[in-house]
Amino acid sequence: MIPALDISTSALVAQRIRLDTVSSNLANLTSLARDERGNMQPYQARYTIFQTDEALETKHGAVGVKVAAVQTEKLEPLYRWQPAHPYAIKDGPRKGYVAYPRVNMTAEMVDALVATRAYEANIGAMELSKNMAQQSLKILG
Amino acid sequence: MTPIVSLSLTPPPAPSLSALPTTTATTGQPFKNILLEALNQVNTMQSQANQAVEQLVTGGDVNPAEVLTTLQKADISFRMMLQVRNKLVQAYQEVNNIRI
Amino acid sequence: MFSSLFSTTTIPALGEVLNFAQARHTVLAGNVANVNTPGYRLRDLSQTEFQEKLKEAIALSRSSAEPMSPGLASSEPGDVMRQVRSSLENLVYHDDTNIDLEKQVAEMTKNHLLHNFALTVMTDQFQLLQTAISERV
Repeated sequence: MIPALDISTSALVAQRIRLDTVSSNLANLTSLARDERGNMQPYQARYTIFQTDEALETKHGAVGVKVAAVQTEKLEPLYRWQPAHPYAIKDGPRKGYVAYPRVNMTAEMVDALVATRAYEANIGAMELSKNMAQQSLKILG
Repeated sequence: MTPIVSLSLTPPPAPSLSALPTTTATTGQPFKNILLEALNQVNTMQSQANQAVEQLVTGGDVNPAEVLTTLQKADISFRMMLQVRNKLVQAYQEVNNIRI
Repeated sequence: MFSSLFSTTTIPALGEVLNFAQARHTVLAGNVANVNTPGYRLRDLSQTEFQEKLKEAIALSRSSAEPMSPGLASSEPGDVMRQVRSSLENLVYHDDTNIDLEKQVAEMTKNHLLHNFALTVMTDQFQLLQTAISERV
């Protein structure tokens, strides 16, 4: 029962990181940042990559989970015609447009819901592990 | 309709004394030895249970449920032994009270 | 006579386990309380170190069990187990800068299970001794 607690904990940490990235994406729906060349680039959505955590492997083959990487998307920005905007593109074919991030709000909300349900499910699994360990003390009457 | 064939019922043969399975451990052994052996077994079970608990507490690779079962088995065999001893003492006292 | 009544059981070792579990609980609770403190470093009591010390103490108490003559005054038999208590004072500092609340709570849960286990087994051992003394099954 004790390794099961560690495995569930790793899942809780991973799901919380996933929820953090979703929050970051939703918060930065219309954010721009200046890159190294001085141009204003739109915020690119981040997403997490989960991976099995071999370090948490029990001898019967149960493994934990870890966040392998938080990667950035490379999507085409949304262009909006705002020639008076201070960050509008100065020259080129997109002159007068402002590049906004392309973040799919619906998909992010669904991801957040899934992460929340997974978090609750893992907490349920932890409760069961705790319950099993407590009940096994009843062997002693 | 087939008639009911009379069942040929014969009473089973009475078990003869020689056919009774005799435990080889008790043939010819004095009662004292049986008791001492049982005491040794109970003692071994107790020390095994103690060892299992110590192994678990010092980080050994034992299953907690197994340790608890070992403890309970040792417990029950000890209580059984105690009850046997109580009955023996009671029997001895009864024999002592027989008035000649 | 009465001091050696308990030394053949696992009661002294389990008592030390209880001490360790309770001390570790307070350290972990402190971690949870400081989850938002800037610059806080995680503290913990090393369980492996405690188990090593306990193993040594148990081996020592078993090996020094020479036949007791009535004139031999046994110096506090709890002394061997007392050396385990030094491992309760060494705090281990982690380098993680982000405290995972879930990990701390999970460690507290595991500690809690260990504590309950030790308590139940110790109670059971006491009851066994009482059964033997009262001769009533």
